[in-house]
Amino acid sequence: MYSKKLGIIDLSKKKIKITRTSEALQKQFLGGRGLNSYYLYKMIKTDIDPFSPENIIIFGTGLLTGTLVPNSSRFNVSAKSPETGILGDSNCGGYFAAELRYAGFDRLIIHGKAPKPSYLYVSDGNIEIKEAKDYWGMDTTNVQQSLRHDLGHVEAAVCGVAGEKLVRFACVRTGVKNAAGRCGLGAVMGSKNLKAIAAKGTQGIEIVHPEEMLETVQELKDYIMNSKIISILGSVGTPLLYEVSNTLGAIRTKNSQLNAWSESLNAEVIETYVEKMISCSSCIVHCRHRNKLGGEGPEYTAVGLLGANLGLDNTANVIELNNICNELGLDISSSGTILSWAFELYEKSIIDQTLTEEPLQFGDFDLVKRLLHKISRREGFGNILAESTSNIKRFGKTAEDYLIAVKGLPQSDPHDCRYIKAFALGIATSSRGADHLRSRPTLEIFLHLPEEVKERIYGKGIPNDPTSYVGKEKTVYFSDNIFAAIDSLGICKFICHGFNSPHFVDYTWMKKLIHCATGWTFNEKNIQEVGKRIIDIERMFNNREGITRKNDTLPKRYFDDPMPLNIAKGHHIDRKEFDTLLSRYYKLRSWTPDGLVKKERINELESLQ
Amino acid sequence: MKRLYVYPEKCTGCRECSLACSLTKFGECNPKKAAISVVRDEFNRYELPIICYQCDDPVCHKFCHQNAYFIKDGVVLHNEDKCVGCRLCAVLCPYNAITTLNSEIIKCDLCDGDPQCVKYCSTQAIQYLEETDELEKRRKKMAEHFLAINKK
Repeated sequence: MYSKKLGIIDLSKKKIKITRTSEALQKQFLGGRGLNSYYLYKMIKTDIDPFSPENIIIFGTGLLTGTLVPNSSRFNVSAKSPETGILGDSNCGGYFAAELRYAGFDRLIIHGKAPKPSYLYVSDGNIEIKEAKDYWGMDTTNVQQSLRHDLGHVEAAVCGVAGEKLVRFACVRTGVKNAAGRCGLGAVMGSKNLKAIAAKGTQGIEIVHPEEMLETVQELKDYIMNSKIISILGSVGTPLLYEVSNTLGAIRTKNSQLNAWSESLNAEVIETYVEKMISCSSCIVHCRHRNKLGGEGPEYTAVGLLGANLGLDNTANVIELNNICNELGLDISSSGTILSWAFELYEKSIIDQTLTEEPLQFGDFDLVKRLLHKISRREGFGNILAESTSNIKRFGKTAEDYLIAVKGLPQSDPHDCRYIKAFALGIATSSRGADHLRSRPTLEIFLHLPEEVKERIYGKGIPNDPTSYVGKEKTVYFSDNIFAAIDSLGICKFICHGFNSPHFVDYTWMKKLIHCATGWTFNEKNIQEVGKRIIDIERMFNNREGITRKNDTLPKRYFDDPMPLNIAKGHHIDRKEFDTLLSRYYKLRSWTPDGLVKKERINELESLQ
Repeated sequence: MKRLYVYPEKCTGCRECSLACSLTKFGECNPKKAAISVVRDEFNRYELPIICYQCDDPVCHKFCHQNAYFIKDGVVLHNEDKCVGCRLCAVLCPYNAITTLNSEIIKCDLCDGDPQCVKYCSTQAIQYLEETDELEKRRKKMAEHFLAINKK
């Protein structure tokens, strides 16, 4: 049988139910993010506290995870987010997801709260709830190495000290730096007294058409490996994006007071700290840097948000901060955004030393380091910062004007979205808040891409001008849908059509890969429909929590402050233009003018079994 | 003859080699059920593909009491029909190159001269090359190094 089991674990009652997801439901949502979102919608009651035992945390592998399919390493962790109070979901690579499938499970749904520190051990079709007393308090590397010492070569998804201490932007980590980083899912683990999930298994994934898979993958691999962008990603990784955005004048700098920063964080400088490029399971891109400072990374997000955004330009310092966040189990995107927000508020005297305990300033490496440690242990001012964006209540209404977040989620993309309008629409409408990995139509950044290439992907009537609002709803709509599909297949976005390149895994490739693995016959449109279904069910979850049109907006600064430097100088988001762009996006999605999923669609999706 | 050579410095740990092997031989994706394995540990920072060297005087062949091993054109092959699954070969192999899962013995046969692991490796960390003195020297050095680590 191709599919693996579904484990439902009640930590309060120590009950484990082992079942399966029906094939009919898998065909509607594929797996990964899609099925996770379906289960969240079905199982979470409205208005629950994300830290209560009623919250559910799901670890779900993609439909193709763990197979020969290139870059099929991924899984999604999903829960109601303690950082935003809406849908929380984060996609992650590494080796854990593949191992979970070899251990016999596609997905674990966890609810309740363990009476004392615990972890789950998943091996060859079984799940055990075990005591984690000895692991509690350990950083993310230490706990994983200890689990390997005690259980053999397991792959584990863990929370760090930050998760235990319920820091609202604590991540789930696996390996040295792979993280389900966003939305504070590590803190949900902590709230359930769940330190780790360790998996080990020898059960293979039975492929329905093995020869067809061997042939298809060979073709796909040749196609991908011949691309220029992949060879660059394989040698320098994501930091290459820093220079692209910086030249444009779109690197968030000092809490977006500026929009360009130092060349000392360019990929060629980062590269001098790389010991070896390594891969996630099944990955042919190998964009992970094993750095010479004892960790892995930094990714572009860390370079931007722990570097430029905090006013730091020393490359080694930025890499060290990246490594610290990973060890403590803090989401880098939120950490860099929340700290820079606090720094600017202090500069503007909106908050003062009675709250912060010490002077805050940009460009102070030791200060950042100290604060990261304090946040992770909720000490002093760190205890306040650990509350993330909900500090608006504490810092006052004016503070909100300087916060670079949407729907309570600090923006992940170091890219300042005032210039490229499609990026702005993307972060405004993404189902988890200000995040670029839901729908960023990266191709907009390549200013010289021929118009016909873009038209072929997104449809007609889209001017080849990133600052134009015309037709940009189509680029976001396309990206939203296809990224939801690729997340559900368990394949990395790096080889997804339209993410980094106008080529790669499009719906036709997906169709072929699904067929060789499962034998299911899908056509391109069917898969696109899966993507649309996922976007809608995630919106239904958020609508139920009170999200409407008013929440699909942008940081005030993006509207009101024109960008000061480089090519992007003078650009900002026009409120009126943005508003009509949003209306056009809703229309494409068939949502109401207020951004609600329509009744008929709700009925249709609720009736799926 | 042509042999498999590994370049650990190029190995990224992805295991496409093992997956291609298990898919070819068993129709499933299972890195633990393959004639090639990647020993990897991101915390201790290494990735090492473990392959069968097709030894000239292999212990698997020499000590098999069922005569389940034979050598054809320099390739050490395993005869499933004769094998009783005692796993002595796997225990004796100094290079850990024989995989056992349950009672199954999985032994590299070089895929009739077209090794799938080589085909699916995206970094040329495993290569199938005509034997030369230089390559052999490098291989022997690596083998000795591996044996030294294995003894610890």
